[in-house]
Amino acid sequence: MTTATIAGDALVQEITIVAPAERVFAALTRPEELVRWWAVEGKVRTLAAECDVRPGGAWWMVVEGSCGSGGPHKVYGAYRKVEPPWLLEFTWNREGEDYPESVVRWDLEEKDGITRARVTHSGLVSEDMRQRNNGWSMIVQLLEAWVEGSRR
Amino acid sequence: METVRLRLVRNHMVSMRQHRQRDAVFRAVADPTRRQILGILRGGRQTVGVIARNFRMSRPAISKHIHQLHKAGLVETHSEGTTTVCSLNAKPLREINSWLQDYEAFWSASLDSLKRYLEEGR
Repeated sequence: MTTATIAGDALVQEITIVAPAERVFAALTRPEELVRWWAVEGKVRTLAAECDVRPGGAWWMVVEGSCGSGGPHKVYGAYRKVEPPWLLEFTWNREGEDYPESVVRWDLEEKDGITRARVTHSGLVSEDMRQRNNGWSMIVQLLEAWVEGSRR
Repeated sequence: METVRLRLVRNHMVSMRQHRQRDAVFRAVADPTRRQILGILRGGRQTVGVIARNFRMSRPAISKHIHQLHKAGLVETHSEGTTTVCSLNAKPLREINSWLQDYEAFWSASLDSLKRYLEEGR
């Protein structure tokens, strides 16, 4: 089970995995592992990945099975923080899209061989918006209230 | 989950224009006066004059706020004789909500997949 929250301008999700943090970190950073788990059977799959795991190093994945053209496209970015096996932060872009770059951060905590992995995806709204609004949890709550209200 | 992932990929294909539109909606609802205007319109369509009576600020100031809500697609306006009638359009709000939910679903599916891979080797 995952738990999801919206904190500030970011989406935050957590999960516990019965594996040491080092194992989890490897799965997040080794191309041969990424192509195995980052997929949806029969629908979307990761064809290839490359990870230069150091601050400033580039990463990319070629993902196939999206809609529209359906052709393979690249998801890519650069590592910003690399502190194995506890922290990994990288930028997130999609090829062919005129869309602002966002940031993904993985925080790992281990206790008795069980790892709590938290993923934070931030920068989903523009920098301009982040400066204007004190985070958007309040706004999101408002939106949800509106959406629910307007269904009536 | 698979449907969700596909929907998300599609949602990634948003253009810069849609992104700006989203910004416009966030900007519009970030202001307390504009939120109050939306609240008034939630009760039904209303003229600019009647809306302005709920506020201490001048009618031109209120018109300006309504104009911003209109630009964000949250308020529709039309003329009836000499008055302007405003009504609420919740569609952009619903779209933002579903966009956020898709992102949540994407990371949730990814975490589940990572857990399954590490614990069960598949």
